[in-house]
Order: sequence, then C-alpha cells, then structure tokens
Amino acid sequence: MSEKPCLKSYSERDVSRREFIKFCSLAAATLALPSSMIPRIAEALEKGKKPVLVWLEFQDCAGDTESTLRAVRPTLAQLVLDIFSLEYHETVMAAAGHQSEKSLADVVKNQKGRYITVVEGAIPLKDGGIYCTIGGRAAVDIAKEVCGNALATIAVGNCAAFGGVAAARPNPTGAVGVQDAVTGITLVNLPGCPMNVENLTATIIHYLTFGSFPAVDSLRRPLFAYGKRIHDNCERRAHFDAGQFVRNWGDEGHRIGWCLYEMGCKGPMAYQNCPTVKWNGGTSWPIQGGHGCIACASPNNWDAAYPFYRRLPNVPGANVQVTADKIGVGIVAATLAGISAHLVGREIKKAVTRRRPSGGKEGKGEEKMNGIQEKKEHPQW
Amino acid sequence: MVKITIDPLTRIEGHLRIEAQVEGGKVVDAWSSSTMWRGLEVIARDRDPRDIWLLMSRICGV
Repeated sequence: MSEKPCLKSYSERDVSRREFIKFCSLAAATLALPSSMIPRIAEALEKGKKPVLVWLEFQDCAGDTESTLRAVRPTLAQLVLDIFSLEYHETVMAAAGHQSEKSLADVVKNQKGRYITVVEGAIPLKDGGIYCTIGGRAAVDIAKEVCGNALATIAVGNCAAFGGVAAARPNPTGAVGVQDAVTGITLVNLPGCPMNVENLTATIIHYLTFGSFPAVDSLRRPLFAYGKRIHDNCERRAHFDAGQFVRNWGDEGHRIGWCLYEMGCKGPMAYQNCPTVKWNGGTSWPIQGGHGCIACASPNNWDAAYPFYRRLPNVPGANVQVTADKIGVGIVAATLAGISAHLVGREIKKAVTRRRPSGGKEGKGEEKMNGIQEKKEHPQW
Repeated sequence: MVKITIDPLTRIEGHLRIEAQVEGGKVVDAWSSSTMWRGLEVIARDRDPRDIWLLMSRICGV
C-alpha cells in the first residue's frame, strides 16, 4: 500500500464534494449495500491507503483496458485513477522495454504481499507457453511470479477468468484462465467480454472499505455482480412471459422491443448485473440495444453458448400464445423457467467439463481461498 | 555495431518486440515480432458464419 491517502486530492481534480458522494453512492448501489454504508465508503476513500496495482496483459485484446479507460460515470474517470496507484500497465505506461520490466520487478520486490495484480487475457500453456511472451518471458512464468507475490489477483474479462475466446474450440494455444495456470493465490474473477468497470471499481472499493474482497460464488465471481440471472432482471422479461417474441431481425416485434429468446438470446443461462448496472455510464446494454445475450461471463461461452443465434432448448414458458386466457399459464411457466434454466445450466456445465482442453476438473473453483468469504450456493454452473 | 531490443513495446494494443541494429548512430536493420498468438483463424473454422463477427471483433478491443 502506498502511504498516500486515496482521495486527498479530489478537490484538486475539479471534483466537487457532491460529485464525490454521488460516486460513493453508485459504488454502494453496485455492491448492493444500504445507503447507510455511503459515509463509510467515503471515509475509506478519503483516509484509506491507496493500493498499488499492476495490470498484466497476456492473450488479450485490451478490451478490459478500454472498458476501464472509458469509465464515464460522474467523476469516475478522474476518481478511478486516484483510488489506486497504477504502477504497471503496458497499454498506458510511458516506459517501454527494460525500463517497464524493471518497474514491474520493483513492485514485486518492494511491495511483496501488498500489491494487487489485475490480469487481462488468457495464459497459453501449450508448447512451453511460447504463444505469449513479454520481455522474452512466457506469460505463465510472469503470472506465477507476479500473482504469486501479490496480496490478491483480480482476473478481468472472460479470457483471464476462464480462458475466453482464446480457449474456444479447438484451443490452438492451450489457453487457460489464471485459476488454471497459477495455484494457491487469492483470486477474484470478474468475467465478461469485456468486464464492466463498475464491477472492478466496486470490488476494489469493497476491499478498501472492509479490508476483504466481496463474497464469491463457486466460480470465484463476486455475488453482488454475478449473483442474479440476466433473464430474471431483463427489461424484456414481461414479453417472454407473455409469449411475445422477435421472430426475425427487423420484424415488428424487434422494432418494439419484444423478447429475443427465439433469436438465440442466452439470458436464461447467464449471470451478470448488466440489466441493472448497464454500460457506457448506464446508457444501455446489449439486450436493450436489440441483440441477444451471449453469456460472456460464463465459462467457455464461446462453445457452451454456441451457436449464438440458435435458441436455447427447453426453456418452459417460451412458446405460450398471446391470448388473454393463457396469460395465467405464462405466469406459471415463468416460475418453471427458473427451474428449467438450472437444468439447462447443468447440461451445459457437463458439456463444458467434457470439452475443456486443460481437462478442467469439476469443483476446481471451490478451493478454499485466503481471506475471501466464500459462499458456495449458486443457482447454476 | 550495437543491437537494441525493445520488448515490450508499450502504448500499443497487443505485444510487440522490436530489435534494431545500430551502426554509427544509424539504424541499419530492424526486426519486429508479435509475441502473442491466439489462433482466432483456427478457432473460426467450422463455425456458423453468422457468429464470426462476434469472434473476430475480439481481435482487438481498442
């Protein structure tokens, strides 16, 4: 931890007290904390110590970096960089070559056990890890050293969490997520393609406020962000229950915002807070924009949720006709939908386990983690 | 003759290594290598063509 307080300079950064409290309220809302916690968050940000962060990029597309840089919630862009001290980040740092690698080595040496590592991108294990090297070193070796000496690691994006697109069939480079490449570390997964910066900020703020990371599910995803099913919070759910579906792109149903289930939406198998937190500063999210969910926060979604435009099989309630006397049936079916999606999820999980190139074992994510409250019950996967 | 190696080259998306041979203050030869490969072209094979835009848009997130 740096000795500097997190937000000593918010007033110097053209951020008013009012904006600052608004930011704290948003963080509390994302974490599903009561408003009584807002002063505690504000205090932690004002007086707490600023954590040192190193951001590693492996088999990535910098999408999570972009997500972070594009944070547009009021004052977030100014405040995020004040909450933590970013010591290493290939895409944004001024130093290059030996100089940049030295700054990383210095953090590992001088801040041992005190810094937080953010990992973006998958880690290739095939052929000795030659498919991603930085400064002549294989990604897996860097990850073992840097994550191994960190206080905690946050894997951002589906690639860092589960292997993501690089691990999609046939996984040419033997790509895996951090949890399958480095063992024995404190790890929080924030999957998504890309991850939502609101969730990264909230996770760090939780740590600064309470001294611990938020409660996670069996896949190490924080429950505040991944505890609810997209389908259950979807703004188009009423259309699903009423049997009002888009049948073709651009048809009348599509124009007026009916349910995208028939067009292959994977909302019934996906867990993330997109419907409530949304994207681009709360402007919109994929389903609001008229495209189905691709379950980007689920393990191996590029194979498990594939093809993206084929509808998920057997989600009861999906074929109910829109007649007044059958609306009651729709309501019953809606209740059943949750149960069915659970079963669909189980089938997909089996498929995932079968297909995993690393031979991923069931329940691997359920290892006990240091310093992280773990809640094992989770409705799916 | 001096050989300069810059790896990683920062402030870009992706991973790049530059090696340059310097003679009398001038670069006389240079090599660049991309040091990361995911094989999206291999992953795209045998997939539903309608899904490829989703896959290929992951080449670069910038």
